[in-house]
Amino acid sequence: GDALLPAPQSVSILSTNMKHFLTWSPVIVLGATVRYSVEFQGEYEREYANGSWIPISECSLTTATVCNITEDISATVAYKLRVRAELGATRSPWATTKGFFSPTMTSLTPPELRVVADGHHILVELADMGPSFQFRVLYWKKGQDSRVQQKVMKEVSSVLHLDTMEAGAEYCVKAQTHVEAINRSSSFSPTQCVRAQGDTSMWL
Amino acid sequence: KTFHFGSCRVSMSLAEIRAGFTAIKANIQSRDPVRTLSILSHPHSLHKVKSSDRCCMTHQLFTFYVDKVFKHCRTEDSFVNRKISSIANSFLSARRKLGQCREQNNCVCGEESTEKFKQILANYEGLNVTSAAMKSLGELDILLDWMEKSR
Amino acid sequence: SGELYCSLPNPRNVRFESINMKNVLHWSAPEGTDDGVLYKVKYAVYGVGKWIRKPECRNINRTWCDLSTETSDYEEQYYASVKAFLNGTCSDWMETTRFNPLTDTKIDPPMVSVSSTDRSISIILTAPEKWKSNPEEESISLLQVYPGLQYNVSVLNKKTKKRWLFSISNNTLVVPWLEPGTAYCVSAQIHVTTPVLDSGFSKEHCITTLKDK
Repeated sequence: GDALLPAPQSVSILSTNMKHFLTWSPVIVLGATVRYSVEFQGEYEREYANGSWIPISECSLTTATVCNITEDISATVAYKLRVRAELGATRSPWATTKGFFSPTMTSLTPPELRVVADGHHILVELADMGPSFQFRVLYWKKGQDSRVQQKVMKEVSSVLHLDTMEAGAEYCVKAQTHVEAINRSSSFSPTQCVRAQGDTSMWL
Repeated sequence: KTFHFGSCRVSMSLAEIRAGFTAIKANIQSRDPVRTLSILSHPHSLHKVKSSDRCCMTHQLFTFYVDKVFKHCRTEDSFVNRKISSIANSFLSARRKLGQCREQNNCVCGEESTEKFKQILANYEGLNVTSAAMKSLGELDILLDWMEKSR
Repeated sequence: SGELYCSLPNPRNVRFESINMKNVLHWSAPEGTDDGVLYKVKYAVYGVGKWIRKPECRNINRTWCDLSTETSDYEEQYYASVKAFLNGTCSDWMETTRFNPLTDTKIDPPMVSVSSTDRSISIILTAPEKWKSNPEEESISLLQVYPGLQYNVSVLNKKTKKRWLFSISNNTLVVPWLEPGTAYCVSAQIHVTTPVLDSGFSKEHCITTLKDK
């Protein structure tokens, strides 16, 4: 009875910032609800476990046509994914991703960065992107592009102190993400410049 | 993070392995009723391995887990099986990094690490294979704690 | 060992509670028992072939037993077990899960000391020490136990209500260019990356920068 149900088509993996999703086109059977099941296979399963496949329970008998595979695709090895359609006892053939996928293939986007001047202090706010991410923040006094300073930050839960600024000077900041597990970095965020508060006599 | 195993210097992340193990530690260790035997820590402690032998010992242990342990750890619990897969695949990529040191001949196996590894295999062979594999998996934190001292 | 017939309900929730590697075994009394229950405790180093009785926790009526000395080697892992006795009967031995002092302890926040000038505050942080039963023993800072230990320092400007976070590896921080005559409140947290261990934030230490000269 399996051959009656066609395998899902357009099976592909979307991966951005270490979040990986398997997607496929729906199998249409008029008047019926088709469900899908997803399995993965890492290099270990291929080489050491007789090519076995491991089901992803959150995507077993799902009606969705997307599956979050992030938790399972966690090692920097080559993975294969497959999905099949199920309708009652009828199952389609497996549709398997062409080629391999590894987290090293994820696309990394620049971090969301907000730069704030508070008196003589320059502060940054970075959107949290998960435990895999570090942030490399570059900053320099405007006009002194050759004297760029750098800080690597991991804690991003609040407003982070970057450095102190000379009175009245303008400072520019940009940041990129770095993922140690895959040893890759994003491109830089747009540069933002802020000006330090003027001379301290202003406080008299 | 950069690990220093004797003259071998390797940059790798154990975070995924540590996170995977932490998620299943209680489940796996509860399947090991034998308190009085250890695969990795007795009678020889990993913490007594000389720095120069660390690379070889680590590579041998990674190979031990990949070749002997993970395949005998299948459980009835899908979540546990998925975490074991995550750990096993992470071991493969970590071992590949250590392979770089072997190619640069920075991963020499001294007499001490050879002897200690023999003892580990003896401990392993002393139990039936499923018990030995489950006990070894339950001792991953012993291996990770020891490796992280090499940072 | 000539044990009695054990029909007493078992001690419950037998577990280690550990702070800065002060490792104390805790449990709850058997269900349905009031006063009069006595306990004895034993422990084992994981992988070593014998259980060891704890004499100071023999025939005790309290529901905890300090095993810090016995479990002080954090390169080892441990089990502990408790048995209850009442009116001539007893319970089974009830065990903890495997205890790894290195990963299963909680860490106190660092000690924070703050001083100020008119325009800056200086912060000195001190990581807690590993618990030692004998004061004569050599002190071991948790910094030595966890080489990857870092500090997150929060500085709150009480006037503007703005809070800044500093992430530092060494234990001193000077925050210059502050406003004179202004109150700043500092609290700090310990952050260990592997194994993942975070203390809570310390209570706030507030200090006012000197008035401008």
